[in-house]
Amino acid sequence: MTFVTVDNVEKTFDLNGGGTYIALKGIDLTIEEGEFISLIGHSGCGKSTLLNMVAGLDLPTDGVVMLQGEQVLRPGPDRMVVFQNYSLLPWLTVRENIRLAVKNVLKNLSKEEQDAVVEKHIDLVGLRHAADKPPEQLSGGMKQRVAIARALAIRPKLLLLDEPFGALDALTRGNLQEQLMKICEENKVTAIMVTHDVDEAILLSDRVVMLTNGPESNIGQLMTVDIPRPRKRMEVVNHPNYYLYRSEIIYFLNQQKLVKKLRSRKQTVLAKHGLEKVNLEIGFLPLTACAPIVIAKEKGFFAHHGLDEVNLVRESSWRGIQDGIAGGYLDAALMPAGMPVWMTVGGMDNKPIPVATSLTLTRNGNAIALDKRFADQGIRTLSDLKRFLRETPDKKHIFGVAHVASSHNLLLRYWLASGGINPDKDVEILALPPAQMIANLQSGTIDGYSIGEPWATRAVVEEIGYEIATDIEIWNGHPGKVLGVQEEWALKYPNTHVALVKALLEACQYCADPANHGEVREILAQSEYLAMDHEYIYLSDEQQATCSVTNDSRQLSHHIFFGGSANRPSRTENLWLLTQLARWGDVAFPRNWVEVLERVCKVGVFSIAARELGLSEIANYSRGTIELFDGQKFTADDPISYLNHLEIKHDVYMADVMLDVAMPKAA
Amino acid sequence: MTLAQKQTIQNRFKLKAKTWERIDDILTPIVTLFILLALWQLFSAFNQNLPGPIKVVQDTWKLILYPFYDRGGTDKGLFWQVWASLQRVLIGYSIAAVVGITVGVIIGLNKRAYKGLDPIFQILRTVPPLAWVPIALAALQQNQPAALFVIFITAVWPILINTAVGVKQIPQDYINVSQVLQLPRGEFFFKVLFPAALPYIFTGLRIAIGLAWLAIIAAEIVMSGIVGIGFFIWNAYQNGQVSEIILALVYIGLVGWGLDKLMAWLQNKILPAQR
Repeated sequence: MTFVTVDNVEKTFDLNGGGTYIALKGIDLTIEEGEFISLIGHSGCGKSTLLNMVAGLDLPTDGVVMLQGEQVLRPGPDRMVVFQNYSLLPWLTVRENIRLAVKNVLKNLSKEEQDAVVEKHIDLVGLRHAADKPPEQLSGGMKQRVAIARALAIRPKLLLLDEPFGALDALTRGNLQEQLMKICEENKVTAIMVTHDVDEAILLSDRVVMLTNGPESNIGQLMTVDIPRPRKRMEVVNHPNYYLYRSEIIYFLNQQKLVKKLRSRKQTVLAKHGLEKVNLEIGFLPLTACAPIVIAKEKGFFAHHGLDEVNLVRESSWRGIQDGIAGGYLDAALMPAGMPVWMTVGGMDNKPIPVATSLTLTRNGNAIALDKRFADQGIRTLSDLKRFLRETPDKKHIFGVAHVASSHNLLLRYWLASGGINPDKDVEILALPPAQMIANLQSGTIDGYSIGEPWATRAVVEEIGYEIATDIEIWNGHPGKVLGVQEEWALKYPNTHVALVKALLEACQYCADPANHGEVREILAQSEYLAMDHEYIYLSDEQQATCSVTNDSRQLSHHIFFGGSANRPSRTENLWLLTQLARWGDVAFPRNWVEVLERVCKVGVFSIAARELGLSEIANYSRGTIELFDGQKFTADDPISYLNHLEIKHDVYMADVMLDVAMPKAA
Repeated sequence: MTLAQKQTIQNRFKLKAKTWERIDDILTPIVTLFILLALWQLFSAFNQNLPGPIKVVQDTWKLILYPFYDRGGTDKGLFWQVWASLQRVLIGYSIAAVVGITVGVIIGLNKRAYKGLDPIFQILRTVPPLAWVPIALAALQQNQPAALFVIFITAVWPILINTAVGVKQIPQDYINVSQVLQLPRGEFFFKVLFPAALPYIFTGLRIAIGLAWLAIIAAEIVMSGIVGIGFFIWNAYQNGQVSEIILALVYIGLVGWGLDKLMAWLQNKILPAQR
């Protein structure tokens, strides 16, 4: 039986001017005995209100809170609270404060036994010397220790802490956190803590509950902190997953802030020049692949095609792009090639969101980099790596990728699997923001990564790693990044969509011209885009580099921006991406894959744009069979037998993906 | 000169400055008093009806020298007159304190009672002490209980209202603590509610003692034939002894000031310095 159950709880407050404010809505949470849970969120998100409802100090407007199957209707000593401002009675000494609680709660004990409990808890928090002092003579940290001692002394089933260390200086806070952790572990206390400190939440919690911003706050995300106990404050940060947890929470909190900002901003649609919308928010990640978007803005291609007010939004991770498109905060975005199909078939929380792509912005430009330690072991090829993995079965090797739906991930997995390495069993693959790869590689958190430029080259230039394989060797000409928009958006603003594709296509052409490379690199190096030296930014094969780690000269990975069939969205390629996503169990393979591809690949929009630009030679170019480095061929005829044919794979599921009927809405 | 010497001199200078400030604090009021007395003396030279300070001391020399004489009836020394008034004040005031705090706590805890009674209390509290005298005399027929009633009814309002406010203003934190601990009523009252409201109660008590002293003088002036500083003044007026009136005023002022200081001292003594 679960220990604490919060079932569909809602809390509304009456406003002074009439009307009601819905603070919390649809909160569901179960807590097991002995668990330590943190509630985190921005101010005013209702985390203290939720805590008060568990305490019984406040009652939910709707739903129930239960402790061991019994509904919480009023406050009681089995759910003791450690209040934010200590709430010690100033007219009683430390000992009297604790005794007041013990005397009235542990009534079945004799007076001597009660006194023993009081004294034991004074010692527990190390306040023997201050036992007879009134609270006002104590420092903030000491007062909080008294409050904790008072709470623990009455042996509550559940300890509730409301920002217990918020008002303390860093040193005191750290010491108290360790003490609290120790006490909780030794006494197997179940606890819920409200905090706004990310590190505190990770350090103390088994699970972190992240609340969205109000009104109608609910649980946005639940994160399990899988760091073994006992934990030490200074050692926890060295845990390989610590920064992953940390960035997860910070991402969530930032996202909430962004949503709040975007909510408050007035969304108007500016129609001009025969286009339905000329004010666009376009998301990108600081990668070399963002060049067409940046150039379209900087060199005026957007404006030339009537898109007067384009605002580029730099995100730090693909998740920001994915949430921005799903939430409608971004009109269009740079996406990894697999993201449109992945979102369309419900990769995001099993909710299918039809996303269309009508332009492939770049091909290639990805590489698999390994820590230079592997070079010392003489690992140069895939078979070397397999041998090495077989020799070190006790060690977990971790690879970083940017996103499950990115071609880096799928190519890395394909590459590993073709060498007989199961990417889910023999190694671990972790999603990290691209810009954090280098730091993680240096700290040893990950052993290698598969990533888009400039991050692979940068490891080589900085001599911390080397490229064991580039995409040129795995699948030359694979789709790298694409332009993605919500299908609904595409239907609502068809002319804008074509104008956008035209502007970007021209920008792609511009980026591909070697005469412009110097300028493009300079622009990309600017602080608002990649913010790094242009030395790291490679655009063509003329730039060769010798890898100092392995001492062999090889062609570094670089992008293809334009030419031939480079920009045309391909159904076959998207289908291949879909089979790979299904292969690793990320999504179910849709039985209605023909419909899915039809909805994702807007070849028509691309053809119109290309023809209007006078580029009819690329408008109808068609790709045939896909062939990867291992000689496996892929055609769009029979994806299911292709999937069955693959040896190393996750259990593959089949499902019908129910897509909303696409209806053009009046703009 | 060494540094140490320099510091000693500086310290000495500092000490001197402090002593000077002390002396200054005491001297200034005394000098001011003498200036005012001198002005009064000057003024009385032009007004034959108001005796000057020298005349007052000459006229009342006996009363000043013998505050403890007692010739029976109402002919008693000023100490006994003040003492009789004080006794009445203490009795009336004590009743007011007990009733005021009790009722204050009750209406402070009970929202409906507070809502119903507060406007009535606000009106009654503005009725001047003297206005209560006739009704007290009419209802109680006797001087002594009537005087006590007037003191009581004057002093009870500030105590009651302040207590009620104090109880209502108990920080939510303390209430939360007692709710979570499920403190029994008695424990809640004596360990949480009463100490938390105590600063407010004391404010009420201090205002009330001033009012009570004010009320007794007013009451006694109207009630003839009793021992008390109020009636003493009235009697002196009837006999045209203006100097005695002035002396009594000095006594009343000093006693009132003393009572206030006493309450302030008590407040400091009992109330722990909070927050």
